[in-house]
Amino acid sequence: MNQLSRRVPLVDGVAKVTGALRFTADLDVEGLLHGALVLSTHPHARVARVDPAAALAVEGVHEVFWHGNTPAHLYNSSIWFSGQKALADEQMFPQVVRHIGDRVAAVIADTEEIARRAARLIEVDYVDVPTIFDPEVALGHAGLPLRQDDTPTFLSPVAGETFVYGDPEAGFAAADLIVETRVTTPRSHHCAVETHACIARPEPDGRILVLSPCQSVFAVQAVVGQALSLPSEKIRVQKTPIGGSFGGKAEPILDPLCAFFALKLNRPVIIRYDRQETFTATRTRSSVTGRMRIGLKSDGRILARETETLVDIGAYCTGGNYLPSSMLQRLVRLYDVPAERYSGRAVYTNTVPAGAFRGYGSPQIHTIAEISLDIAARRMGMDPVALRQRNLVGPGAIEPWQGLDLGNARGRECLARGAEAFSWVGRRQRGVGRGRWRRGVGVASATHINGCYPGFHEETTASLRLLPDGRAELICALHDLGCGADTTLAQIAAETLGLRACDIVIVPADTDTCPYDLGTRASRMTYICGEAIRRAGVSLARSVRAAAGLELNTPADDLRLEAGTVRRRDDAGIALPDLAARLASRGIELPAATESYRAQANPGSYAAHFAEVEVDRLTGRVMVTDYLAAHDVGRAINPMLVEGQIHGGVQIGIGYALYEDVAIDLATGRMRGDSFSRYTLANAPEMPPLRVLLVEEGEPTGPFGAKAIGEIATIPVAAAVVNAVNDALGTELTELPLSPERVLAAID
Amino acid sequence: MKVSLEINGQAVETEVSAALRLSRFLRDVLGLTGVKEGCCEGECGACTVLLDGKPINSCLMLTFQAAGREVTTVEGLDGSSGLQDAFLQLGAVQCGYCTPGMLVAAEGLLLDKSSPSEAEIRHALAGNICRCTGFETIVQAVAAHAATREGACR
Repeated sequence: MNQLSRRVPLVDGVAKVTGALRFTADLDVEGLLHGALVLSTHPHARVARVDPAAALAVEGVHEVFWHGNTPAHLYNSSIWFSGQKALADEQMFPQVVRHIGDRVAAVIADTEEIARRAARLIEVDYVDVPTIFDPEVALGHAGLPLRQDDTPTFLSPVAGETFVYGDPEAGFAAADLIVETRVTTPRSHHCAVETHACIARPEPDGRILVLSPCQSVFAVQAVVGQALSLPSEKIRVQKTPIGGSFGGKAEPILDPLCAFFALKLNRPVIIRYDRQETFTATRTRSSVTGRMRIGLKSDGRILARETETLVDIGAYCTGGNYLPSSMLQRLVRLYDVPAERYSGRAVYTNTVPAGAFRGYGSPQIHTIAEISLDIAARRMGMDPVALRQRNLVGPGAIEPWQGLDLGNARGRECLARGAEAFSWVGRRQRGVGRGRWRRGVGVASATHINGCYPGFHEETTASLRLLPDGRAELICALHDLGCGADTTLAQIAAETLGLRACDIVIVPADTDTCPYDLGTRASRMTYICGEAIRRAGVSLARSVRAAAGLELNTPADDLRLEAGTVRRRDDAGIALPDLAARLASRGIELPAATESYRAQANPGSYAAHFAEVEVDRLTGRVMVTDYLAAHDVGRAINPMLVEGQIHGGVQIGIGYALYEDVAIDLATGRMRGDSFSRYTLANAPEMPPLRVLLVEEGEPTGPFGAKAIGEIATIPVAAAVVNAVNDALGTELTELPLSPERVLAAID
Repeated sequence: MKVSLEINGQAVETEVSAALRLSRFLRDVLGLTGVKEGCCEGECGACTVLLDGKPINSCLMLTFQAAGREVTTVEGLDGSSGLQDAFLQLGAVQCGYCTPGMLVAAEGLLLDKSSPSEAEIRHALAGNICRCTGFETIVQAVAAHAATREGACR
């Protein structure tokens, strides 16, 4: 029992630090052809003509594909199981392109260079149709026939959610202060350092093998199946190592294309996006405009809250229809608000589609709510920490929307202990200073989910079996996105079996060999997959003890597994490889166990973040100078990896607050931030020193008490930073990111 | 055109096209896929290699421009030096895609300056994007390793 709460290095780390790990674009595949895409330069247009002649004439070009010679099946790239009901509005090559970066054609050639050169020779005629870039305008144009054949392209809103709880009118009537805000969050991009890539290879048995750096092999199988109208059994998907995702690779984008081209040409095909393509032709975080009205008692108690959200989901539905409700789900988990009204709408625009990005609506809604709450605190002259503490939910709270128990919710401890460690009171008393540089501090709380319960298929299956060398093999369709999930889950398995994390052999996710799993999403790896693996481990340990009982002539209950050996109470024992050998010699199969786990709860993870900033009133530049993140994680299976998630989450959040925006031009629909030189990230010099404080009070429903960290790590960051800037300047900035122009405009 | 250069301690003589970027030469011709390409415009640093001991973006250099020079990729780092182990032990690696370039950039810094300050480490890594770690443990790993290496020299 010594694998928990340990800073175990990544089980796949050596391959990473030596450069030996092969990502998709690094794989050697015999006979590989290369694809390059022609992407639309028009934001909304009918593709009237595609002339491939010049491209086909280039030596080394095998084929050109466009809507004239590819299937027109409609699909939705966000589905995660075959047959899932979802608005299917995407096509491999649509006849009407809906955004700059939409797919027009593809060239398949011997090399990437030839394919890209030939792609530039393809002639395309576009016939423009009316465009909508502004979500507010999209609402006003709901239902207008915009497509050339008079069928509606855009029926906005594509989805909506409304909710009323308690008596909001009575709450507002009783309020001493009512604060109204409007907060806008930007389109930010994942910026995984690995650009999108996929390989598909036709198999001798007529099936297609897809090698994909994905978040769910089963989602890839479902989307490829829908796009190609192929049954699932014709499609095999294997996960390749992934160079960062953050939700950006949750939806298969290149996979249907590669699969089709490979089947058509009977050759393996790779497509690898360059950076600009990854910006303009994959997914972003949706931008949200939030209007909030909060009614408070003079003692800080929230009496009523009204929230309106407008979500820009871009040109295709994907999973954007879930956003209004997922934002509501996360909003109502944080504070005990007796009266709530919520209305959320998602609309199409002629811009790059939105998709999953670390938190799926949570960063947007908590940014909106936490900036709003801070404005309320300032207007009523109350300490923002005290105001939050007055309203936070506690253990065992039931949220009002789905009626779910929030579990061992420790947001209050995060806030109290974080404020203490950050010297919140002392820093506030020090004041903002005078002159050019002003100093401010900000705080934000947040919560997030643990898995998809009570939604679809929140269930997974894990198998563990003893190997002849005494190690254990784990099969569970795991998709480690770089967060260290494999290591954490190996620690959980090892803990149950008296092994070390490095003794757990993880079989890579493969639709042929692994049972179905939803994949890495919704902060479910540790909490859901971890619990399935823990149960499988306990079950395998029981079988191993039973098998060893015969060898050691001892009842199984008197045996324990420790350091790779089954031991009796007198410490006599048998090493697992020896046990395996004896069983094999007697023709007995080695012990194995399979457990399915269906979630019965969805507790909240909680956090409180504290930022200190310095603002230059002359240039409008903001530097985050100190940062502390307090997190309720139940229990940290691997504190080093938990801290790593938080560190990375803060980097994404600081960018969200200050720099990151793909900046779609409202006149042309062009993305201005479509390269790393025009899309600014917080790099090493911009990052403050980061301190992490873990609150480990244990979640009874989680494996060994653990809860999720991956997504919540980034959720409170932007609000904490913006609140610090507003504190420093005495402003009420609510439009993100806080570019120097916006900061200067606010203080003039 | 014919080019001779030294790569990871080995002399290489080869025929290359004038337009072939160094990063592509290292990856596609020599199979040194530890060299990553993340942007091909010198912004992300995933392709960082040492050129005569100095870190450069190999995506911005043509292969022939490296003629007569020494190139070191992550594959050529001295694994026993401990920098890679410091990254591993301190959690400075997550997805691993920026890691080769980050290690090479850090090695370049340490060749130039044996005990850099934290600000100097951050400045030296300013051209390397990591989206996973927030740079916190990367800076720690470089500093920790610098201290060990410095100790070993004395």
